[in-house]
Amino acid sequence: MRLPKLRELAEALKAVVRGPYTSRFPVEPHVPYPSFRGQPRYDAAKCVGCLACEQVCPVEAIAHRDETGGGEPKRVMIHYTDTCIFCGSCEAACIADHEGIRLSTDWNLAFFDRRTESFETIEKPLQLCEMCGAVIACIDHLTWIADRLGELAFASPTLYQSRLAGLGIADENIAAVLRDHGRSDRGKILCARCRRETTLTTKEEPKPGEKGEAG
Amino acid sequence: MAKTVIPIGPYHPLMEEPELFRLTVEGETVVDVEANLGYNHRGIEKLSESKTFDQSTFVIERICGICSTSHPFAYTQAVEDIIPLQVPERAKYIRTIVGEGERIHSHLLWAGLAGHFLGYNTVFMWAWKLREEILDVMEILTGNRQNYAMFKPGGVRRDIRSQDIPVVLRKIDSIMPTLERIRKAIVDDPVLHARLKGIGVLSKEEAIDYCAVGPTARASGIDRDVRKDAPYAAYDRVDWKMIVTNNGDVFDKVVVRVLEIFESVAIMKQCLEQLPGGEIDAKITSIPPGEGIGTHEAPRGEVFHYVRSDGSNRPVRHKVRAPSFMNIPTCKATVVGGTISDATIILAAVDPCYCCTERLVVRSPDGRRLYDGQDLVRLSQEKTAALRKELGLP
Repeated sequence: MRLPKLRELAEALKAVVRGPYTSRFPVEPHVPYPSFRGQPRYDAAKCVGCLACEQVCPVEAIAHRDETGGGEPKRVMIHYTDTCIFCGSCEAACIADHEGIRLSTDWNLAFFDRRTESFETIEKPLQLCEMCGAVIACIDHLTWIADRLGELAFASPTLYQSRLAGLGIADENIAAVLRDHGRSDRGKILCARCRRETTLTTKEEPKPGEKGEAG
Repeated sequence: MAKTVIPIGPYHPLMEEPELFRLTVEGETVVDVEANLGYNHRGIEKLSESKTFDQSTFVIERICGICSTSHPFAYTQAVEDIIPLQVPERAKYIRTIVGEGERIHSHLLWAGLAGHFLGYNTVFMWAWKLREEILDVMEILTGNRQNYAMFKPGGVRRDIRSQDIPVVLRKIDSIMPTLERIRKAIVDDPVLHARLKGIGVLSKEEAIDYCAVGPTARASGIDRDVRKDAPYAAYDRVDWKMIVTNNGDVFDKVVVRVLEIFESVAIMKQCLEQLPGGEIDAKITSIPPGEGIGTHEAPRGEVFHYVRSDGSNRPVRHKVRAPSFMNIPTCKATVVGGTISDATIILAAVDPCYCCTERLVVRSPDGRRLYDGQDLVRLSQEKTAALRKELGLP
């Protein structure tokens, strides 16, 4: 009858010698295991701004804002730390080889000011329609599609031109060829709506300053 | 003698299922108990219907904070039942490993809390210390200590890295002596024998009448376990036995859970050793119209999910039945006739989250407050102390 209690006593004595089981946290930093799921981080160089992560996020912790007002048009990708559940759906859905956004092992996410510190952002340059100014996609996203399509990308002037623009080449030939057939603007980087319009109608090119309908 | 009504509950944010117990007592003896459910309706089923099949998994995971894998386990099986679809072998094994790891930590958590309610804080400290090791194992395997985010319809989200397997096996082996010590500290302890044997008895007939599930039923001699009766995942590929005891009292419920921990460890080790290679995801492209059901033996018993699809990417109906829903009414059979100091542990024995005792207030007829939750725990601990003195123990 006393044996169980003696066993517990032995354990208690051992604990006295061994010292506390808990780590001395603030003094010794906590090092998480490499497979720990921590804060997802954007890689601004690899992310193409396709918004797949925003679409799959189950808690809407990812959002974006397209800034087309003044200056260079850009897409701001926003990740809210306080909403995130670290499930990794964004990483799994990332089209840039799962490297555009990755779970890090960063667990120390405390902050003081929710309005300014609860999110992380990256900026991606946006491609606007050269006719109506509507947002098409991020420049990197168009390049990414063109790369994947290979030579098939030549079928779409938007992809072809954005690929050339990325390489710093301006191809005057396309515009020159098309000019003789009425709609030289077909060779521009266009949104889907403007592409239909330029294909189906023979309307004159809008004068500079006179914008077409917004896509 | 005048009757007094003691309300326990209903609200506590930590509970998976808020409930209100109204104990009617005559002096020390409980003469009636009434259980009310449905206080903290979170609209999870409706919320799940507004998410895609894939996103729903994360909502479902948050039904319960302790058995956070049980619900996705049943849900993904329900979705796969609609198609129908067999998940890859490797995914089945990984699911089993995560499911069993969760059972270990859930039973340990319960054992610790039960120890605390009895004033046996040694078990509380040991069990929770050991639970840390299990949570570390889960962190290595899944990346999270809780809400593992491993399940998805069609497979699992994350593979177990081959270099982690030896680390985990070593860690599991290293906790075995401690686990054995906890088993002895609970099963051999004379005070626990005196305190728990013969109280809160749920006979086999009553367990069948109340449709009790899980350890609550198995302690009453009902050999029912979804893992054995309708094997899913990798449960038919590993060697393990169902723990069944016959007395139906609180002590047997403790024993069933403690011994189940050992079975879970055995299942986990076998799965890790036999883990087959291959894909981890069947990559579902569309879910046809139809309906499916999925069940899983959660730490507290059978959890049941029903999902109906209309061919879109969202479920049109999702029904969840958690095991505590079946187990809580058994308190009608177990608590009545006992004393108030035993009511705590009897109600805790079916393993609802027992934090609700903090709401307990005893009011005398003139509205004066006599007891609160702290007092109830104190009453229970005092009874153990008195027993200890009676048995001549330090």
